[in-house]
Amino acid sequence: MMHKRKLAVLAAIAALAGATAVMAGPRDDILAGYAAEAGVTAFDAAAGKALFTGTHTGGKPETPSCTTCHTGNLTGPGKTRAGKVIEPMAVSANPQRFTDPAKVEKWFGRNCRSVLGRECSAKEKGDVITWLSSL
Amino acid sequence: MATTTTHDTQEHGMAAADAARASVKVWDPFVRLFHWSLVAVVATAALTGFFAGASWLQVHVWAGTAMAALVVARVVWGFTGGSYARFSAFIRGPRQVISHLRGIVDGTEGRHIGHNPLGALMIVALLATAALLALTGAVALGGMFKFGPFAFLADFASGRLARELHSLLAWGLVLLVALHVAGAVFEGWRTRDNLMRAMVTGAKQRRPGDYPAPRLAARPMLGLAVGVVFLGGGAASVSTLASRPPLGVPTAPLDAVYADECGACHTAYHPSLLPAASWRALFANLGDHFGEDATLPPETVAKLEAYVTANAAEDFDTLPANAFRRTAADAPYQITATRFWKWMHAGISDAVFKSPAVGARGNCAACHRDAATGRFDPRRIDIPQEITR
Ligand code: HEC
Ligand code: HEC
Ligand code: HEC
Repeated sequence: MMHKRKLAVLAAIAALAGATAVMAGPRDDILAGYAAEAGVTAFDAAAGKALFTGTHTGGKPETPSCTTCHTGNLTGPGKTRAGKVIEPMAVSANPQRFTDPAKVEKWFGRNCRSVLGRECSAKEKGDVITWLSSL
Repeated sequence: MATTTTHDTQEHGMAAADAARASVKVWDPFVRLFHWSLVAVVATAALTGFFAGASWLQVHVWAGTAMAALVVARVVWGFTGGSYARFSAFIRGPRQVISHLRGIVDGTEGRHIGHNPLGALMIVALLATAALLALTGAVALGGMFKFGPFAFLADFASGRLARELHSLLAWGLVLLVALHVAGAVFEGWRTRDNLMRAMVTGAKQRRPGDYPAPRLAARPMLGLAVGVVFLGGGAASVSTLASRPPLGVPTAPLDAVYADECGACHTAYHPSLLPAASWRALFANLGDHFGEDATLPPETVAKLEAYVTANAAEDFDTLPANAFRRTAADAPYQITATRFWKWMHAGISDAVFKSPAVGARGNCAACHRDAATGRFDPRRIDIPQEITR
């Protein structure tokens, strides 16, 4: 009896770890891709935080900061200007984040142009993902 | 008749007077119930129709349906009821109406214990107006809001025409009710009767000189049978007709890619909410989309644009598809800038739109539970509770 229960617990832990690993897989690939593109070996979470929480002037007046929509509380939900709820950005609160390369590229493209008025560099994207994965 | 007369002439003194003054049941229980039920449903329909917004439409429709059923029942009773309820017993031709009016002017007119000829005319006018109100209401409902027995048949244009007639008839009914009440007050004063009480108790005092009413036996069982057949048949056909697919209402679910891409920042607006030209202008300008960058890869843009322009406002007949076809010149693809949208939502304060549960004017789905379908059924409007409280 005891054995069976222990085994079940172990199996559950293994399954959970497996799931996280499967989720982490594509995220690591995305980061590796940005690292290669930027020619760096490591990303800077602090720089990611500065970009994400800072106020910018180059973009559209309606969206001065990434936090305009994603809010300062990254483990909680955000809200678009049109009132729609945005799922949390911190990976700890939303393990689905940064696992679909096309989605990541699409939103970096849009949101950087809206907030900064320009594309984000591969380094900046990597920094932001690294910071949001560490929360 | 004959027996009463012989009876009266054979009796003498007090007894004769008593018999003559005996109270008569003029208004049978059905007529009284009908009368006050009609007052209640017409009042409800009038209040919700004249003063309340789209969210009361459901109540208005129920009141109208009840009114139609009451009219049908009264018409059946008009052919099967007794002396004072039977149409043939009180509906009179123009000649008698005129001589009744002359008699009133001359002061020679006696008392009709039931409906007088002018009052009878009013009953007919009230019943006919009520019936036409129910009919035009049902056509308006079907054509404009796409529900009810005519939803499968009536297009928006005929629905709107029916609504014009419906509101004319509604004012007509208000006028008739006012005249009816005035007539009852006048007749009550002229004949020193409490007509209001008679319509509650059903009884009036017989007086010498009253116009005799023909003696007609009520046939309640026949009336009931015919009434059940008519009302049951009517209800069955209304519900079969109402269950037919409504005309010009979108049925296909939203394209999955569209719902995903164009539903990321706001509820995915149904393609039927804007005309094709507006969608083209919107898709040509995704880089500066209401102060945001909403760009998509060119192949996705082409695919989505083809989808929305093939399902645009011109292709459907719902109320929003008709109403939002006329866009604002300076904001060709903004639904909330159209005159209709502004007019429809003028009563909602800015605080409601800015509240956490709504967030913005464009968040249609916060209040319209069927926003995703493009239908915008008024029965499905629900302003989030925390704000209205
Ligand atoms: C106008 C509102 C808005 C602003 C400002 C904004 N975002 Fe976003 N962002 C969104 C929305 C909406 C999504 C997609 C919704 C979702 O995935 O839950 C999103 C998604 C993302 C994603 C994709 C996440 C994933 O799951 O792959 C990234 C990355 C992102 N944003 C980064 C940023 C950065 C960096 C900034 C500042 C430069 C920023 N956003 C500013 C609204 C905004
Ligand atoms: C804050 C809640 C709220 C929001 C958000 C909202 N509406 Fe409405 N809407 C209402 C109410 C309430 C009415 C009924 C008003 C009345 O009858 O006076 C209404 C009426 C309507 C009507 C006419 C009646 C009907 O149901 O057919 C249409 C069409 C409509 N809204 C479309 C929209 C669209 C499109 C949007 C988004 C762009 C929207 N509404 C956003 C609350 C809202
Ligand atoms: C990056 C976020 C974003 C994306 C993606 C997006 N929109 Fe919008 N859209 C907005 C914002 C912000 C508004 C303005 C909302 C407001 O002011 O309340 C808006 C408004 C609209 C309006 C006008 C609504 C009104 O208030 O009348 C329409 C129509 C619309 N969008 C269609 C689309 C379509 C179609 C797509 C897909 C190609 C799309 N949107 C994708 C952000 C977005």
